[in-house]
Amino acid sequence: MIERNFHSNTGTSQPLIDLRNVVKTYSSLAGSVTALRGVDLQVLPGEFLIVAGKSGSGKTTLVNMVTGLDRSTSGEIWVDGAPLHRFSTEKAAKLRGKTMGVVFQSFELLPTLTVLQNVMLPMDFARLYSLREQRQRAIHLLEEVDIAEHARKYPTALSGGQQQRLAIARAMANDPAILVADEPTGSLDSATATAVIDLFADLVRRGRTILLVTHDKDVAKRGTRIITLADGEIIGSERRESVNA
Amino acid sequence: MLRPRWYKVIHDLFGNKTRTLLIVLSMAVGLFAIGIILSARSILEEGLARSFAAIHPSSGTVRTIEPFDEDFLQSVRSMPEVQEADARRNISARVEVAPGEWKNISLFVIANYDDIRVNKVASQSGAWPPPEREILIERAAFSVIDAQVGNIVRIKMPNDTQREMRIVGATYDPAQLPAPFDGNPYGYISFDTLDWLGEPYGFNELYVIATHPEDKVWAQHVVNLVKDKAEKSGYTIPLIMTAEPGQLPMDDVLQAILLLMGSLGVLSLFLSVFLVVNTVSALLAQQKRQIAVMKAIGGGSPQILGMYMVMVIAYGILALFIAIPLGAVGARALSQLLATMFNFNLPTMEIPPQTILIQMVIGLVLPVLASLFPFLSSLRISAAEAMSAHTMGKGRFGKNWIDQLLSGSNLWFIQKVPIRSILLSVRNTFRSKGRLALTLITLTLASATFISVFNVRASLSSTVDDMMKLYKFDVWLTFDQSYRSDKIQHEALNVPGVTQTDVWLQLPTRRVRPDGSESGMMYMFAPHVGDSGLISSPAISEGRWLTPEDDNAVVVPSGLFNNEPDLGLGKEVVLKIYGKERSFKIVGAYLGSTFASIIYANYDYLTKVANRVGEADALLVTTQVHDVAAVEAESEALEKYFEHIGLRLSSVTTLPNERAEAEVAFDAIVALLLVMAILLALVGGLGLMGTMSINVLERTREIGVLRAIGAPNRGVAQVFILEGITIGLLSGLMGALLAIPMSQGLNQVVGGRMMGAPLTYTYSMPGLWLWLMVVLFLSALASFIPARNASRMTVREVLAYE
Repeated sequence: MIERNFHSNTGTSQPLIDLRNVVKTYSSLAGSVTALRGVDLQVLPGEFLIVAGKSGSGKTTLVNMVTGLDRSTSGEIWVDGAPLHRFSTEKAAKLRGKTMGVVFQSFELLPTLTVLQNVMLPMDFARLYSLREQRQRAIHLLEEVDIAEHARKYPTALSGGQQQRLAIARAMANDPAILVADEPTGSLDSATATAVIDLFADLVRRGRTILLVTHDKDVAKRGTRIITLADGEIIGSERRESVNA
Repeated sequence: MLRPRWYKVIHDLFGNKTRTLLIVLSMAVGLFAIGIILSARSILEEGLARSFAAIHPSSGTVRTIEPFDEDFLQSVRSMPEVQEADARRNISARVEVAPGEWKNISLFVIANYDDIRVNKVASQSGAWPPPEREILIERAAFSVIDAQVGNIVRIKMPNDTQREMRIVGATYDPAQLPAPFDGNPYGYISFDTLDWLGEPYGFNELYVIATHPEDKVWAQHVVNLVKDKAEKSGYTIPLIMTAEPGQLPMDDVLQAILLLMGSLGVLSLFLSVFLVVNTVSALLAQQKRQIAVMKAIGGGSPQILGMYMVMVIAYGILALFIAIPLGAVGARALSQLLATMFNFNLPTMEIPPQTILIQMVIGLVLPVLASLFPFLSSLRISAAEAMSAHTMGKGRFGKNWIDQLLSGSNLWFIQKVPIRSILLSVRNTFRSKGRLALTLITLTLASATFISVFNVRASLSSTVDDMMKLYKFDVWLTFDQSYRSDKIQHEALNVPGVTQTDVWLQLPTRRVRPDGSESGMMYMFAPHVGDSGLISSPAISEGRWLTPEDDNAVVVPSGLFNNEPDLGLGKEVVLKIYGKERSFKIVGAYLGSTFASIIYANYDYLTKVANRVGEADALLVTTQVHDVAAVEAESEALEKYFEHIGLRLSSVTTLPNERAEAEVAFDAIVALLLVMAILLALVGGLGLMGTMSINVLERTREIGVLRAIGAPNRGVAQVFILEGITIGLLSGLMGALLAIPMSQGLNQVVGGRMMGAPLTYTYSMPGLWLWLMVVLFLSALASFIPARNASRMTVREVLAYE
């Protein structure tokens, strides 16, 4: 795989993700709901951080804060040393394009682009590579996730597992330091889910930093650290030594 | 190789062909309407100006009673103020159009048909110049005399000579009022033929072009100089006519049509703008989730905006490919229709580049601007919200008073209806209020314009009714000289079927302006006013009708104030009566055009000042039976009777004929309005279908959800059809209200140009019902087709639809 030389899991580096007292409140007809209540969280380079918790605990809100897909109500969010909480949506998109890859539960692939073009699109937006390089990288990434033979198909022609592999390849397109995955196995059967998690574990072993949200206990066991959210607060943190195969 | 984002644009354009077709057609119909109206207006204006310039139009006409010869014509040509002059003989004869049925015909006799210098007449087909003892007919007059080239017609001269002549060709004479407008046809003969018809040689009409024909005041002055010269040479001048510079005879009506086209052009421009904005907004609403995903994977706003700009421009280009050529074809057809109606040639059918430019601006620039607003508003919500909002529906329903109004107990009457989906449909309609507002504005504009077109048509008809309501008689006979009023009335009562008679004095007059110049010829009618007469008050636009006590009072047509702007209600007007200037006070204006304008004065006063007490030259008759056939038969009987007793008639008119002629002037406008109504129904209807269909396509996923929770296909279709009907009905009703001020505005435009007063306002209920039916049908159809297509897909496919 063509990739940057990331830090190994030393625990001594500066955090790649640093959340300081982050609060997120939603307003609705029923009144306001606080989804995150003063969350403090640091993610170090090379960590495979699992965010666990029941439905409604604030896991997805946390992902939205970390990725800049939504704005916090208060608190600070630092990503790779950049103050994301101060960024406009425009600047946040650029940061995301270069520093983070995002994987969604429902894949969120663009149906009118082929598998190959879906992977090339983030590179096109980021303008980091020439068109030829984009193509080469995309083919390579598809080989890495074992769906290179489907490169010319449209996403709807792929199975759920293949679509999630494609989403991971797309997230890796610009060789980001951080991968953020929101319930990436939520729409998959258990065998496919295991294969997808193996893929994430492999990426961590190669030095990638991953923040993965799940409510699946088996998936959670694969991380180097597990934090548990309940009612918008971190109620537990468990560090593990290495990524399980 | 293209960048991946452009592949997305291409696939979005051509991957979903139904959506592309709908968007392109919605945009194209609006652009087509703009093209047809603006181009036709321009072709007609250009054609009118060039056709008119090509005939070397006269600044005015001077008619003499005694014939004059070439020497006098030469003396006029040598006047320094005269650029050019020419002469003709114009004879009022009669033509037999059916056995025993005679109509007036103007016979023109021209000395040299190959050297006509003023008001040129050209050969349209057949022989040229007219051979001896044969006749040419003006091309627009064939329908009036119900004949064609090759037919033989019988002509009766004022000297009672009757001859049969073969029609050997058609002429084109745009300087004359097109025959269908006043029912007066034109024939063209040679002086040899005139001799054969028993009339002496000589001209009686002098056409003059002033040295600066574009200067109206100067041109009138020059025509007056020529008149003075003729009078000094011993000729009696019964009338002079001055022309408006650069105007054909029916210019008032034509200008009203062009104004109407302009107004409808502006309206269809608005319609088109909203159609385009609506379509683009719908497209962007549909792409909201994908935009959010692209933002999530690092797409910058300018990059994503650029993609959608290119996409809407591509839609615009496709729409222009359809709209520009079709608009050109339609514009040419419409121009030709009107040019034929008004009897002028269109030297060019070129589509003006400005029209194409306007179409391109609306088709290309406007969609880009239109896409900016929804795009920028989509940037206001976070990518996370955009992605979640799509799956959950709009997620904002229930917040404001409209939503509250549509909730629960307020719609109790709907809950009793045995269609469960009706509540869902009504609430769905109001779910996305911005989009609903845009759709409603577009459809309301289309509805209002369509209904207004019908209203103007109904108002024209009411105006004719108003114009005719002063005539309480059935037949109107004019004599070639004055007779004793009691004698002609007594004689008329001898004819069986005549129940009542009345008389008036009828004479040509001219306004003498303060600077001494004279207006064109007008008719003055002096009837008996009061309850006993057969004339009642016409529709008065200002002031009042005449009373028996009035002396020098006159009531003038409202259109006169357009042509003589210094005149007004309460002002004095100097009129030339039998060669003497007399002052009258304008006490009222009636709804009427300057075309064939009539000034009304009191019979008793006018006969007194004209030394013709007890005389009349027009007889008005009411008949026992008023239907068209009976009135026609009665008029023929009267004509025969008066001929028999030796009283010579110069014309016989029946009221049904008079009404038909008054309507002919409006027929061109009515025809145009019908074309416009069809065009607008097309634009509105297709726009409605496009908008509705895009709305349904946008909610294909929702159809999947409904089916997933057990809704049968019919139930799903019902929800969307009812929603479509709700929108259609709302826009129809709002359009019906908006049509009230809109049609008043159009009435003002048309009436103001033709008569100086608005048309008699009438709301066309048939127009309203027709449109409501069209709207209901189209909105149901437009919602049904995409909903049916969506219900044919599997639930999985529908839920995966983007």
